[in-house]
Amino acid sequence: MRDDVGIELAGLRKRFGETQALDGMTFTVRPGRVTGFVGPNGAGKSTTMRVVLGLDTPDAGHALVGGRSYRSLRSPLTRLGSLLDAGALQPSRTARNHLLWLARSQGLPARRVDQVLEQVGLAGAARRRAGGFSLGMRQRLGIAAALLGDPPALMLDEPFNGLDPEGIRWIRGLLASLAAEGRAVLVSSHLMGELEDVADHLVVVGRGRVVADTGVRELLAGVAAGRVTLRTSAPLVAAEALSGTGAAVQVTGPETLGITGLPGEAIVARLTAAAVPFAELSTHRATLEEAYLALTGDAVQYRSADAAAGVER
Amino acid sequence: MSGLHPAGFRRACRAEWTKLHTEAGHGWLMVALVLVTAGVGAAVSANVPCPVAGCGQDQVRLSLAGVSVSQVLAAITAVLLVGGEYGTGLIRTTLVAMPGRGTVLAAKATVLGGAVLAVGSVAVLASVLAGRLLLPGAGYTPAHGYARLSLADGPTLRAAAGSVLYLVLVALLALGIAAAVRDAAVAVGVVLALLYLFPLLGHVVTEPHLQRLLAQLGPMPAGLAIQATANLHHLPIGPWTGLGVLALWAAIALFLGGAILRLRDA
Amino acid sequence: MRTLHAEWTKFRTVRGWVLGAVGAMLASVLFLLVGTASSNEHPQRATALSAGPGGGAVNDSFYFVHRALSGDGGITVPVTALTGVLADPAGAGTAGGPGGTTSGVTPWSKAGILVKQSLGQGSSYAAMTVTGAHGVRMQDDFTHDRAGLPGSPSTAEPRWLRLVRTGGTVTGYDSTDGERWTEVGTARLPESATTVQVGLFVAAPAAVRASGGGSSSPATATGSFGRVTLSGSWGQAAGGWQGLQVGDDAGTSGSYTPGTSGGWTTTGEGFTVTGAGDIAPVVGGPALGPAFTVETFLVGTFVGLIMLTVVAVQFVTAEYRRGLLGQTLASTPHRGRMLLAKAAVVATVAFAVGAAAAAVSIPLGELRARATHFAVLTVPTAVQTRAVLGTGLLLAATAVLSLALGVVLRRSVTAITAVVAATVLPYLLAFGGMLPSGPAEWLLRLTPAAGFAVQQTLPRYDQVLTVYAPSSGYFPLSPWGGLAVLGVWSALALAAATVLLRRRDA
Repeated sequence: MRDDVGIELAGLRKRFGETQALDGMTFTVRPGRVTGFVGPNGAGKSTTMRVVLGLDTPDAGHALVGGRSYRSLRSPLTRLGSLLDAGALQPSRTARNHLLWLARSQGLPARRVDQVLEQVGLAGAARRRAGGFSLGMRQRLGIAAALLGDPPALMLDEPFNGLDPEGIRWIRGLLASLAAEGRAVLVSSHLMGELEDVADHLVVVGRGRVVADTGVRELLAGVAAGRVTLRTSAPLVAAEALSGTGAAVQVTGPETLGITGLPGEAIVARLTAAAVPFAELSTHRATLEEAYLALTGDAVQYRSADAAAGVER
Repeated sequence: MSGLHPAGFRRACRAEWTKLHTEAGHGWLMVALVLVTAGVGAAVSANVPCPVAGCGQDQVRLSLAGVSVSQVLAAITAVLLVGGEYGTGLIRTTLVAMPGRGTVLAAKATVLGGAVLAVGSVAVLASVLAGRLLLPGAGYTPAHGYARLSLADGPTLRAAAGSVLYLVLVALLALGIAAAVRDAAVAVGVVLALLYLFPLLGHVVTEPHLQRLLAQLGPMPAGLAIQATANLHHLPIGPWTGLGVLALWAAIALFLGGAILRLRDA
Repeated sequence: MRTLHAEWTKFRTVRGWVLGAVGAMLASVLFLLVGTASSNEHPQRATALSAGPGGGAVNDSFYFVHRALSGDGGITVPVTALTGVLADPAGAGTAGGPGGTTSGVTPWSKAGILVKQSLGQGSSYAAMTVTGAHGVRMQDDFTHDRAGLPGSPSTAEPRWLRLVRTGGTVTGYDSTDGERWTEVGTARLPESATTVQVGLFVAAPAAVRASGGGSSSPATATGSFGRVTLSGSWGQAAGGWQGLQVGDDAGTSGSYTPGTSGGWTTTGEGFTVTGAGDIAPVVGGPALGPAFTVETFLVGTFVGLIMLTVVAVQFVTAEYRRGLLGQTLASTPHRGRMLLAKAAVVATVAFAVGAAAAAVSIPLGELRARATHFAVLTVPTAVQTRAVLGTGLLLAATAVLSLALGVVLRRSVTAITAVVAATVLPYLLAFGGMLPSGPAEWLLRLTPAAGFAVQQTLPRYDQVLTVYAPSSGYFPLSPWGGLAVLGVWSALALAAATVLLRRRDA
């Protein structure tokens, strides 16, 4: 593993007028895995990427690509490939010419342009004006630009936007294979579901700072460990039996209880001891979406509303 | 701050040149530059008569009159080169590929300057040729004290070469303004105002000193002094000094544009 | 109506556009201040121009041999010759003397009889006069001119002139023999003037040459009059005729040639009177000198025009660029109506900006002119009002043109350049002095720059000679005619835009 090819952010702060867009953003993107960069709209994901690319200057902190600041790189596209805004191109220029000037700027040969066009599946549309492209084709062209310099690190902002299911499947495969080649890959999204099965690692942000920086497996396990669904014909008796154990019990249906704060085995032991009949006990296999909601402020509100509804019933 | 690496600068120039020649709009503007310069020059050469000896006209200036019209085309090309990128968001792609912002502006200035130099030369040569053919018909004959227009004549050559440089400098001035203003529409408004308002004000002002001052300071009136070949001592400003004033304007604009490009978030 | 309201809301909620419109007004006024920053170096040359009875600036300078008349009365005299002296245009005489002279009469040199309300500058008058090249004329109150007998007078064929005052009316007659009289016309003097000044006068406007952008040189005229016959009650206070140079300097209309001055002598029963200057409205051109005109004060219009063009073009191209147009057309499916609503909004804003800027600029310019010792060519209030409203309409039409070209060309940079190149550039080329008046006038007839004619306040009079050409600030078309040309351009562009908007996909 090459340790010097990652992306490293330390204490980034950036204020736009009244808004503190970045408030001490700190994390590292390591090679060989896909790092998901998640957070609600306005959490500072795009600003972070713009700071990494030297487009915005941070008020404090620094961002390094392979140990160097982006603006000091001589051929930056060979160190970090990026996709910020797929619409940022001259509509009257053909796709090939758009990549051609980018290649020239890095001292790359024109044949590299044809290679990446082939790779993203745009070879047939290479000589068409990019202005006539669909959103999905523009995303592919943007990804082609990111791949152009064969960089050890990639940073893609919302690459799933505008793609059809086939396109989404394609990009997931691409991201996985790029990481498998030992590259550092950072992919942002405001929908956790899009990163399901792709991301190995997650950086969850909110209000300009990192909320969680964790492996996907650990995150899922943490959430899953906490939640158990119990089906029983005597929910009230079961709730009685579990009182005093530190578990929080919610009535989630006429014959179901949601239990948190107590592992499944302990619940089984307890219910068996109290001779409470139960039909089914399932340890919840959380989706990434739920794990994400568990980490963000919105999730707290959502859960309390849910709980209130449950009690009323 | 990243300085100008020779290799990086060369690559940036190649990238900017690729952008320039793969964009059809720029090509048409360059064609229009030649046609307008020569066309207006020919129209003026043919239609401003010299009925008597000593009619007081400067035939070189007449044949190059198209430059004062076609300069807007050089300016538009320049404005689109930067302002157009701000409009589409392409500027961010450019700066991601070439993070040395000074290098980007320098490359744009080099490529633009080179293109306008080449196209402007064609345009000015065509104008001189048109003047050479048409001026005698309008009365600019040896009998009226006018030699046939020729680049072998020192002042004529200076006026012609200077007109090409004038177009280049106007383009660079517009480039600097576009980089500073970051909006193509506003930039072109500022450029046109800067070019036209000085002579307009000079036309209205009646006080001779202020009138002279305006002709010395304005980028257009001062710069176009390079075209004068007659009554040089009556001009408010000398030909090369005048072009120098325009060069100073262009340098200030480029410096300002470069500073803003460096300091502001893209 | 709902479309209009929507477009207006769109306009006023973009801060840049509102700032652009307000800025256009402020910048116009600021530009005027720059243009009037310097002081007149020769304030003595800038005698304030008097205003005539109609409100316009006038020259009222001539040699007058006069006496007072109370109540009704008349004066009759034969004119036997009108001769004159012209200064050499180059100013450099052949041998000795600062400037040589040649004999000659300028076409509108005058020798005749005059009934004038008072000796004050710009006062009401009626005159019967022989002229250098335009026969006998009856003129009154500076701006009115009627032709009488043709030809020039001589001893053998004198021109008899007569003015008769009856109440507030003065009637002019001419005759070749002093017996058969023809009425040339009547003029009205204010009823309040019971005592008026009546007598013989001679004036000679400067010689004007059109070549080289126009120049003028002094001229002097001498009139030979026969026996004067009076009727009515004439004041005897000073015992008869008095000679007077009316108007100390000859104003802007000329001055005495080297070695001459105004005066009169009696020759037998007749008089010989020498004078220079003119009794006539002030016009532009070589004779005007360093005076400010209303046009000068409206120079800021160009700044406002460029700024409003940027705003108006962006008002529509912004929709193309941001993909808003689809949304706009979805809420207003009738594309023509949408465009008209947009045009109405920018036209209204531009009119308000232009008229307000002009309304502020004119009085401000007059203040500046006074402070910097420049004469101001005053014009009647109606003309000034036309210039103010015309400036508003000029900007409104340009804004519509900008909007329409924004639709046609879709690129704001190209559209802005096209509008500015079509309006400001022809103006600059036409008035810049490089083009001769022929091509210059065609530019101002055919291009949208013709619209600037609406700002012209310099008057044009057949009885005053100057270079009525762009080099003197004269448009070939009338104010409203010029504006109509611009209006036609705007209308054509708007029609083209409507058609294209319907045909093209959004």
